[in-house]
Amino acid sequence: MKRYSFKGGVHPPQNKNTAGLPVVDMPLPEKVYIPLSMHIGAPCEPLVKVGDSVFKGQIIGDVKSGLGAPVHATVSGKVEAIKVSTNAAGQNTGYIVIQNDFEERLSPDITPSDKAPEEYTIDDVVSAVRKAGIAGMGGATFPTYAKLQSAYGKIKYLIVNCAECEPYITVNHRLMLEHPERIVNGLMLLMKVFGLSRGYIAVEDNKLDAAEALESAIEDPDLIDVCVMETKYPQGDERQIIYALTGRELTSGHLPFEVKCLVLNAETVAAIYNAVIYGMPLIERYVTVDGDCVAEPKNLNVRLGTPISELIDYCGGLTSEPHKIICGGPMMGIAQWDINAPVIKGTSSVIVFSKNKRKRFSFNPSCIHCGRCVGHCPMHLMPNYLYAFAKDGQLDRCVEFDIMGCVECGSCSYDCPADVPIVQTIRAAKGKINEEQRARKAALNKTFVVPEKEDESKKEGRRVEH
Amino acid sequence: MNTKEFNKALTVTSPPHLKNPETTHTLMFDVLIALIPASAWGVYTFGFRALVLILLSMAASVAFEAAYQFFMNIPVTVKDGSALVTGLLLALCLPVSVPLWLPVVGDFFAIIVVKQIFGGIGKNIVNPAIAARVFLFLAWPDHLSRFTSPGASLPLFANVPFPDTVASATPLAALKTGDMPADDLFDIVLGNVGGTIGEVSSVMLIIGGIYLLVRKTVRWQIPVSYIGTVALLSFVFPRMEYTFNFVALELFSGGLLLGAIFMATDYVTSPVTRSGRLIYGAGCGIITVVIRFFGNYPEGVSFAIMIMNLLVWYIDMFTRPKRFGGVEKNAGK
Ligand code: SF4
Ligand code: SF4
Repeated sequence: MKRYSFKGGVHPPQNKNTAGLPVVDMPLPEKVYIPLSMHIGAPCEPLVKVGDSVFKGQIIGDVKSGLGAPVHATVSGKVEAIKVSTNAAGQNTGYIVIQNDFEERLSPDITPSDKAPEEYTIDDVVSAVRKAGIAGMGGATFPTYAKLQSAYGKIKYLIVNCAECEPYITVNHRLMLEHPERIVNGLMLLMKVFGLSRGYIAVEDNKLDAAEALESAIEDPDLIDVCVMETKYPQGDERQIIYALTGRELTSGHLPFEVKCLVLNAETVAAIYNAVIYGMPLIERYVTVDGDCVAEPKNLNVRLGTPISELIDYCGGLTSEPHKIICGGPMMGIAQWDINAPVIKGTSSVIVFSKNKRKRFSFNPSCIHCGRCVGHCPMHLMPNYLYAFAKDGQLDRCVEFDIMGCVECGSCSYDCPADVPIVQTIRAAKGKINEEQRARKAALNKTFVVPEKEDESKKEGRRVEH
Repeated sequence: MNTKEFNKALTVTSPPHLKNPETTHTLMFDVLIALIPASAWGVYTFGFRALVLILLSMAASVAFEAAYQFFMNIPVTVKDGSALVTGLLLALCLPVSVPLWLPVVGDFFAIIVVKQIFGGIGKNIVNPAIAARVFLFLAWPDHLSRFTSPGASLPLFANVPFPDTVASATPLAALKTGDMPADDLFDIVLGNVGGTIGEVSSVMLIIGGIYLLVRKTVRWQIPVSYIGTVALLSFVFPRMEYTFNFVALELFSGGLLLGAIFMATDYVTSPVTRSGRLIYGAGCGIITVVIRFFGNYPEGVSFAIMIMNLLVWYIDMFTRPKRFGGVEKNAGK
């Protein structure tokens, strides 16, 4: 069988230890902590007060205008507190804390749709998806309704991303094995709405059993192509999937619909189906809990807002002192500083590493010019020079060498024998460059734009940068 | 669980949280392992004195590096093994008859002048071992051009330059004067000829090269394009009638294999792109042949590599990969 692939990339040990473990429903938590911002875009305003009684699935926060996605109560109960605290990314976010009453009272707003499948229009889908608060569940958390809306009428390739190239994570794998029909139905629904006669599902070749499961769930093989990809990191990156399947190269800063593609994560597609057909909002997701400190690694079905400490407890606790807790995969996931951080829409895994998992071999990293990072960079950059310029503060040279094209996949740092913090340095430099540009734009606005228009142009600028 | 205690233990760093276990240290030790066959052959052919020179040179380079870093109050990095590689390579490209102080002077030049003053590992522009060899060659040409016949085991301390030992013309020197070398091709490939300690046995060098290729420590581009270019040019412009014999002699005698497999491939002083490495290898090949054919010296490998070292930045820039994006191939599929 043909294997689709891309140029560059690395092969970290896969450690898909949980691939054989069926997803189990985690017992409901006592309390859930719902962050008001679990997506890219503006944070939500709370719509409930302390003391209010809420239904499961009720919208408890929404954005007033602009990009964003509403948040829902994921259990029924009482609003105990609305407070602000710092999230893993270091930003202050509001949280709504709900005390669970374990009655599972479903919100009366949630009603299955009464339309026949062929009657759905893009507007139905977009509004249902927005109402359900769906944001990219692979970790990017871009509001899905916006993605669908902007792609409508412009795409030729609708691709479900089941590559799951990050080590350890197996939630998509389990979804494909246990409920392939959810992915297939979701894809069929979207194909109908988008008027496409063909859809694509991309699976890495370490999950051939899942590819088979999908194939047997597809009634008409002419409609959906299950494409097997080479197992390689970052195969699951949107750009690399598009390149592998269509040969089109998408520059960073551009959106997939510009090359006639739309790529959606497997769980997102299943959630879209749930939202459109059953009116069900996104209140739970699959999470892989693994890592060398976890006593019994598991795949769990978890309500959003459950503290990760409870997930770890449910997996038998820790066997040794944790060094790092990572939400998301070990290549791109975010290290947490608080073990009580909640599961959010993009949390595909919780990985706990002990100290001996990541040794630093050198405290004085010095690039030896081996060229591995250059060979592995999926965006075909020269990370070693970007690092050198960034470290030197030569930001204009960084820009000249396409630093903004870096997708921060971390392949370069992973394979660097000299242990140079390449992507870490690049990330910081990109932040600085963005800041400078913003400052320049603001200065320009001050000079030229009449006061009423100022707001408008600022908003525009912000949108472009995201 | 007591979350306060746990949170204290947590480390927050930016991703990735995984790292390939290979390090500079393991790569350098791979190179050392790959040089064992050639070094062992050198000791077998040229006797105990060769072993002493090798060990002395390795020890001296490590000592210079450690001492410099200690006195400059910067982290001592001798553990990465790069000084050992430099010391070994330098010894391997010296004849066995050199005085014992010579490699030590060479190591000083390599480690202090070429490597550390430029900022230590990764910052040097030319390969330290090559630069030291060129330096020694220019300063003490006699010592570096007197080769001993294989099997003549020299005393450790005697009146250098050993007036009574057999001096032997290397195959390359013979080619230079337009003669077919006296040794037969089999001896040359195996290493039963005069030459420097490490360069004589092509078989052993190739074994080491295969090890490095299999371990992916060295990529194929530089050795293949270097050796290939020399082969091609010798084939197209033979200096004598027996073309194939001549090509084989050009490849298997002198320092070409040692240089192409172990010295031109030094990461620090070679390009980072694949196509850049092909260009660099070809450049080394062309310069080597030009020096061998037209220069005053029978051997041109060190000069060729050193000249190409200086061009690495330009080659990198010239072969900068086209960034991902903007290209529409197989469109309409
Ligand atoms: S430079 Fe950026 S895109 Fe390239 S490998 Fe490193 S992190 Fe990935
Ligand atoms: S992988 Fe590391 S050592 Fe090698 S060129 Fe890149 S930054 Fe330098």
